[in-house]
Amino acid sequence: MIVGLLMLGGGAAAGAFGSLLGLGGGVLIVPLLTLGFGLPLREAVGVSLICVIMTSSAAAGVYLERHIANLRLGMTLELFTAIGALVGGSIAFLLDERLLSLLFGVLLLYVAATMARARTAGTAMDTPAADDLDAVAGPAATPTTLERLSGDGYRVRNLGRGVVGATGAGVASALLGIGGGIIKVPLMHLSMGVPLRIATATSNMMIGITAAASAVIYVIRGGIDPYVAGPTAIGVFLGATVASRLAHRVHLRYLRLLFVVVLVYTAIQMLVHGIKGAP
Amino acid sequence: MTPRGFASPTARTVAAERVSGRLLIAITYVSVVLLLIGVALMVKDGISPLDGGPGLDLASLGATLAALGPAGFLWLGLLVVIAAPICRVIVAGIAYARDADWLMVGISVAILLVIAVGVGSALTVRG
Repeated sequence: MIVGLLMLGGGAAAGAFGSLLGLGGGVLIVPLLTLGFGLPLREAVGVSLICVIMTSSAAAGVYLERHIANLRLGMTLELFTAIGALVGGSIAFLLDERLLSLLFGVLLLYVAATMARARTAGTAMDTPAADDLDAVAGPAATPTTLERLSGDGYRVRNLGRGVVGATGAGVASALLGIGGGIIKVPLMHLSMGVPLRIATATSNMMIGITAAASAVIYVIRGGIDPYVAGPTAIGVFLGATVASRLAHRVHLRYLRLLFVVVLVYTAIQMLVHGIKGAP
Repeated sequence: MTPRGFASPTARTVAAERVSGRLLIAITYVSVVLLLIGVALMVKDGISPLDGGPGLDLASLGATLAALGPAGFLWLGLLVVIAAPICRVIVAGIAYARDADWLMVGISVAILLVIAVGVGSALTVRG
């Protein structure tokens, strides 16, 4: 009973943090379950994938209703994230758990560095990518593929880079139980010229299919424990839902700083786990 | 305003996006209810999350549900969670087919095929 409540509470905290800071929460659920509850890393990854799908579906539903996400671009890229997830989900069962822990530790340090940089750079990430609309507004009887993937007032570019990045994000998602938004959002915004708000919404929508492609592999191969997944997923859902309603009242600057500290500490723990083989 | 040459979603595609969005939200709430029932039954039966739950067995899922077994509701909830984004792709694919947007139909089918390959390969490995 107490363990269940702790799991639900931990999931709620992960969901709230993730929602407030624009992350899926996956980066916190895996360390929570491995370091906090002693679960095998692969099982924690499976549970995290379920939580990530749940939060993604709830948010993506709203984004699609309001037409913020770019469905065409999202579906094109999610074909490649799904292929990456298929590969990642298959090799996850072949890799040593200590290697996965080390990879996760490196990922957490990367996320911490990204968040710290965003904190010092202020709103650098909020600046829309510079798109020269005049260059694409010429006559075009038959729209090219890039034009068909573009949206109102912006043109998608560097589709090849997007395909490679999306495949990599899919592999990372399946191996580490994350949504991959930390890769997909900068990829779409900075490299493909998609405005940040649309990139965030589209990434959120893509996360569901990415995680579902590998989650089915984890389910069939016995990588998900329903007794762990149930309370954790409910906690994440509740935490994310409440946090999204409180977001405007929270001082994100201090929260982000706290989050960076938590991430660095957790990264060190995961790296130690990977090197020594125990939390 | 949409610049010339840019994709302008048709009314049908826009409607499909709205339907997909509502579907995702509805399915998510259904999964939350199923998982809540499963967790409540876990508490009632005195099961700890660390006891180690059973794997998915589709053949006995109906019987477990009928017997109000927590694992049945939890597995059904988890399957519904996974099904949500897959349903979204199916709905979008149908909308694109009605608009004769065959590139997007092909992409929708390819996504579903990738997931099917994942299921097939996992079943093969599991034996």
